Amino acid sequence: MTEPSPSTPPSGAAARPTRVAPVPELISRPEGVGFLACVAALAVLPLVLELSAYAHNLITLALVMIAGALAWNWMGGFVGQVSFGHAAMFGIGGFVTGRLMLSLHLPGPACWLGGAIVAGVFALGAHPMLRLRGPYFSIATIGVGEASRLVFTYWERFTGGSTGLSLPIDSDAKYCLYWWALGLAGVVAAASVVIRRSSLGLKLLAIKSDVDAAADVGISATFYQDLIFALSGAVVGLAGGLYASYFSFIEPKDMFGFDRSIGFVLMAVIGGVGTPLGPVLGAVVFVLLRTYLLASYPQLYLGLYGLLLIFIILFEPLGLIGLSRRVLRRLRRRGAGTSVMP
Amino acid sequence: MSRFFDMILSAVLLAGLYATMAYGLGLIYGVLRVVNLAHGGVIMAGAYLGWYLHERFGLDPYLSIPVVLGFSFLLGVVMYQVLVRRLPRGAAGGPASLLLLFGVWLVLRNIAYLTFTGDDQTIRTAYSSRSVSILGSPVSVNRLVVLGIALVIAVSLHGFLKRTQVGRAIRAVAQNADSCTLVGIDVNRIYTLSFGIGTALSGVAGVLLATIFSFNPDAGSSELLKSFVVVVLGGLGSIFGVGIAALIVAAAEVFAILVLPSYLTTAVGFLLLVLVLIFRPGGLFGQRVLS
Repeated sequence: MTEPSPSTPPSGAAARPTRVAPVPELISRPEGVGFLACVAALAVLPLVLELSAYAHNLITLALVMIAGALAWNWMGGFVGQVSFGHAAMFGIGGFVTGRLMLSLHLPGPACWLGGAIVAGVFALGAHPMLRLRGPYFSIATIGVGEASRLVFTYWERFTGGSTGLSLPIDSDAKYCLYWWALGLAGVVAAASVVIRRSSLGLKLLAIKSDVDAAADVGISATFYQDLIFALSGAVVGLAGGLYASYFSFIEPKDMFGFDRSIGFVLMAVIGGVGTPLGPVLGAVVFVLLRTYLLASYPQLYLGLYGLLLIFIILFEPLGLIGLSRRVLRRLRRRGAGTSVMP
Repeated sequence: MSRFFDMILSAVLLAGLYATMAYGLGLIYGVLRVVNLAHGGVIMAGAYLGWYLHERFGLDPYLSIPVVLGFSFLLGVVMYQVLVRRLPRGAAGGPASLLLLFGVWLVLRNIAYLTFTGDDQTIRTAYSSRSVSILGSPVSVNRLVVLGIALVIAVSLHGFLKRTQVGRAIRAVAQNADSCTLVGIDVNRIYTLSFGIGTALSGVAGVLLATIFSFNPDAGSSELLKSFVVVVLGGLGSIFGVGIAALIVAAAEVFAILVLPSYLTTAVGFLLLVLVLIFRPGGLFGQRVLS
């Protein structure tokens, strides 16, 4: 899979040749303004427009999934370790949240934090696995996913077994979850861009390209993979906690299901694996697609996911981001052509 | 003591199936350096094909093996020619091929759901419940036949790779594809052939599986996991090594019943995988490729 080049410095820098930044600015001003405008627009959306419960549901779900997909991409895209087992952390985040709410009656944010921490620690527990690279790692994650699904399905005292858990969430709290989800998605998106462009991002890139060469220049693959996997797991756990609170009913089969792990992979792949913000697009498309498919073709959606994966990998490995780059390049070339012509 | 013997016996009987599953994955990985993530899906497809031939035409599952062999060989050839070959050269072993073949697995699963619904199936023949006594322990005839077929497959695969011209070419490509082009081996053809033979073996493993266990379209992930453990443990070095590794995995699973609740035996494969990858990442017998 090809690497997206780190974004070029803004055009203002080109005018002053003295300022050559080896590492581009973390977030340039126009980007920051645009980002804040997007978040603000989404924040006031439910207040300005009378959103139907359905639309409200859909946007909240998309926001939660955006956070999860971005976090998956830290591991799958930045480090290049494709995980087919992120559902484990998602489920743990969800069930720890549920348990804390039901047994200790803690307020929502404390429960989510608890879920995130446990999920992060669980991911750290995968430390021995992180010595594995490529297919070894991926297959091991399938194992972790399956094993955790089994353990949590049969651990009835904790997860309620196949009957699941019902979380005590009233409708006001549920409504407010929209902004919590937005906050999470916003922070994770900003973090993605910052990680990508910081020296940490370069180190991850080095690990992805060549572990041995990275080790030669003093980058410990083990340490950074642990770090990123724990962070990724914690964020996915947090997303799981928000998801559990929002839907107020969770069961292990759904939370730990293989479908959920596939979902994270697919969201990142649709948007663009390894691009900092591709998974945002991917998650939105995925949530819409899934809702539509489940409603119209419930018996076909798995195969369509598969076809989508195949087509994207064969024809546009960077997903929607790659596609839009290609379209932009073509437009620009055409624009340049006409301006020379007059 | 006799209980211990029973367990050893059932591990040996299971090992044949595991070895057959692992050859398919190992051959493709050894030659193309691609982990066939659709392996579990092909096993599932083979199981359904055998089941269908038995239900529809009353064909004995063991007699249907040639048919399944042919079909899954074709499936593999198509998968290689249409999909895997198109990956950029460097990406073939990377995440791209994993995601691609994972997509194939999802498609296979969906096709199975649509055609056969999600119900559990198993191939039941007249002799399914018959058993013979070996040193006082009852042994299912079915499992004995599966072990026998697995041995035949192992011996013929060994003979094919060692003694035939094509087999030598496959081993040569596994060692160094670039040098092979120099001496006039059509590497692309060898890749196609290896992928085909690999999936054919997975398909046959599916039929063998279907005669012993029940399966549904979701089947395959634990098979993939176990095959992978066997391949890593046995190394790509020898058919014999894979056999020993299959025996170890089967024994671990059988004996795990003593200490673990039954639903967790699936997790044994995973536990073994992690242990093996940590302590013997080069396999039990070191890492030699198909030599």
